[in-house]
Amino acid sequence: MNLPDYFIADLPAEAVITPRMIAESCDSLRRNREQFLTHRSTDWMIGVLCHAAEQWLEPGFPLRKLALNHGPAATGFSSETLARGLDTFFRQFTQENFEALLRQDLGHLRCLDKPSAPNRDEQHARLSLARGPELILHFTAGNLPIPALMSMTLGLLTRSSQWVKCAAGGAFIPRIYAHLIYHVEPKLGACLELGTWPHERQDLNEPLLTTADCITATGSDEAIADIRARVSPKARFLGYGHRVSFGFVSAAVLAHGHAHRVATRIAADVSAWDQLGCLSPHAVYVEEGGAASPEQFAELVAEELAAREQIQPRGTLPLPESAAIASRRSFYEIRSAHTPGTRLWCSPGSTAWTVVYESNPHFQHSCLNRFLYIKSARNLEEVLQGADDIRRSVSTVGLAAPEEQAERLATELARWGAARVCPIGKMQEPPLHWRHDGRPALADLITWTDWEF
Amino acid sequence: MVRAVAENQPGRNQNRMCSDNSIGAFIARLKGVMAVHPVAGIDSDSHFNTLAMELFSLQSEHNPIYRLLCERSGKTTRTVSHWSEIPTVPTSAFKEWDITSIPTGERSRWFCSSGTTDQRPSRHLHSTASLSIYEHSLWPPFQQHLLPEGCAFGQGLSWISLTPPSHLAPHSSLIHMFSTIRARVEPASFHWCSRVGPSGDWELHPQEVLSALNEACAKQTPVVLLGTAFLFLNLLDAMDAPVTRLHLPPGSRILETGGYKGRTRSVPKAELHSLLCSRLGLPQANIITEYGMAELSSQAYDRICAHKAGTPLHFPPWARARIISPETGVEAMDGEAGLLQIFDLANVHSVLAIQTEDLAVRRRDGFELIGRQPRAEARGCSLMAP
Repeated sequence: MNLPDYFIADLPAEAVITPRMIAESCDSLRRNREQFLTHRSTDWMIGVLCHAAEQWLEPGFPLRKLALNHGPAATGFSSETLARGLDTFFRQFTQENFEALLRQDLGHLRCLDKPSAPNRDEQHARLSLARGPELILHFTAGNLPIPALMSMTLGLLTRSSQWVKCAAGGAFIPRIYAHLIYHVEPKLGACLELGTWPHERQDLNEPLLTTADCITATGSDEAIADIRARVSPKARFLGYGHRVSFGFVSAAVLAHGHAHRVATRIAADVSAWDQLGCLSPHAVYVEEGGAASPEQFAELVAEELAAREQIQPRGTLPLPESAAIASRRSFYEIRSAHTPGTRLWCSPGSTAWTVVYESNPHFQHSCLNRFLYIKSARNLEEVLQGADDIRRSVSTVGLAAPEEQAERLATELARWGAARVCPIGKMQEPPLHWRHDGRPALADLITWTDWEF
Repeated sequence: MVRAVAENQPGRNQNRMCSDNSIGAFIARLKGVMAVHPVAGIDSDSHFNTLAMELFSLQSEHNPIYRLLCERSGKTTRTVSHWSEIPTVPTSAFKEWDITSIPTGERSRWFCSSGTTDQRPSRHLHSTASLSIYEHSLWPPFQQHLLPEGCAFGQGLSWISLTPPSHLAPHSSLIHMFSTIRARVEPASFHWCSRVGPSGDWELHPQEVLSALNEACAKQTPVVLLGTAFLFLNLLDAMDAPVTRLHLPPGSRILETGGYKGRTRSVPKAELHSLLCSRLGLPQANIITEYGMAELSSQAYDRICAHKAGTPLHFPPWARARIISPETGVEAMDGEAGLLQIFDLANVHSVLAIQTEDLAVRRRDGFELIGRQPRAEARGCSLMAP
């Protein structure tokens, strides 16, 4: 793959990376930030980001073609899944969406540029200036690229220089994004650095951890705790741990004859990023009493997943992942033969998709890669009881319910602990101003200077 | 609820279970095969196939859970003609159902899987008759690989098991195997060197092992050390402080089995073996790896003691390994990796065709283990790194 070696992650695999190189890169980033970034306005930054997104969305744009051609081998996602996921992300890059994010998280559009009066503070004889960190270090996880891209975007908005330490095998798309930024504004690209190395090379993490004044980390709860323990007390730490998501389909939605449409949307949620995201549903609960029974609905979802496979195939899996699916299928083959409340549908001759219907409302972790549980429940209360074990780690609940029910259900889910409730079909499409795990992700990066007069 | 289904359904079959003469006849023939020299017991694929198809027919008749699976999958004695097509049962199914043709009143024993991460262990049910097959099945390959000099040679050795004794861990198939071997060999000395802790873990008492090893060294009696990889690691840890190096008497040997299921620590097999060689002073060729599990009745081995050239893991002639692509179900080619299935004719009273959760590379008619599947909940975007 031909990408110029602007970043450490671009170096050939045999290149030797040393702690000194990392330390020097931190110095360069901070210098470049001072020179090229700190004085930039919010409008300018939004302009650059929107231009980058427009470039990406051009079908013939060389970086896009390169990403979609080499992406399947590098990431394990099919070209169609990559295109759909990345296009959805970049389509959010509009002036309006960035402004909505700034207003929501910072209370004012200009407070990163000059002392401003967020939240009508002028009544209190005070103006405030928002500052981003000088150097943000991101530890990104896995091969699902969106969280890394989102972190980088927020860091750009705050005019921070950024070092992105990508997980093994997870550098490809963040690299493409960094090159995209470099392409539209090389000086901005010079405020970014990316690299990847094995977990054992803690010596390479050390210069980063001692230099960065803000560290974000996405990973397992254990990995987050491990990094948190190594962060200096003076640096800010933002950890995003393990999260799971599920869906809820109200019986009333099925009664309106919308079952097919809802099933199509569920298939979209499961296929997005091959279900590997924290926002992807492990299970979808279907309320009993609708025009289609939960079991009939499960069959519809299976048909939709089969159809989706034709237009957006799942990626090729490494052996342990396909073995996990095969094993779980064989277990459910037996259970479905013996237990009336269990059924199994799966792609013939491959592990491309699997649907397990279970009448038992107890939440079940999926082995992912388009393996979905459909569960029946008498009502939302029973769902929440069944999902009680995961209450503290729920991210998103996808909801399909008529308008007159939606507010009540969303309130119930919010009180229970869900960090996000969204329409089914949009689970993997959080808006730009999404509050990550219930936290204002942009505001969390900011330090305020209050000017009282 | 599910177990109730499993126990209620046999009702109409109860009188057909196990008392059936055809199962008895099969067992008699199988034991005959096992009694022959283990390499020659089953001399061809067609011989294995005949026995496997006969057992498949008996199991799909007498084992109610299995019968339903066969009927649902359309793989019955009418449609299956080769052992490789016999429907497999995943080991996980043993956690949920009593997969057996043994009548309730005759279920005298069960073996559990050793994984500590599992909330619910597998249960492989046994009766007097099935235990007898287990014991018949384990001995010939054990003797062939661990005691190629013959059973009598074993009597003169000092035997040390790193596991607890059988009465403390009655549901361990491995310990039952060691007890059976002990009864066969009747050695002059046999030490059990672990106890069972409050949480059910096996707790090695390294000083007992070291004292037995020192005694054997003083008397120049060769030692047979039996244990799991994790217990051997415990022993090596204990030999670190102070650093202890022994030179076990010539002829000493090790049987190492099992992995690190649910353990926080593991070391690669080659490294473990190398450490054992250097700390205990015995040649690599005298470390034999065994592969078995609670859901099986036969074991695979990778070496005949003292033979320099190891082999891939291989079962005795009455059990066969098959590596399949989990994606397509097609059998792997030589050198390819896949999911390990085992067809064990000694599993007379449960099911002969088992799908394990182990990943392996096919090596001619044997296999090399390469690991296990990830735990389902330990996956997802936020769980792959950093």
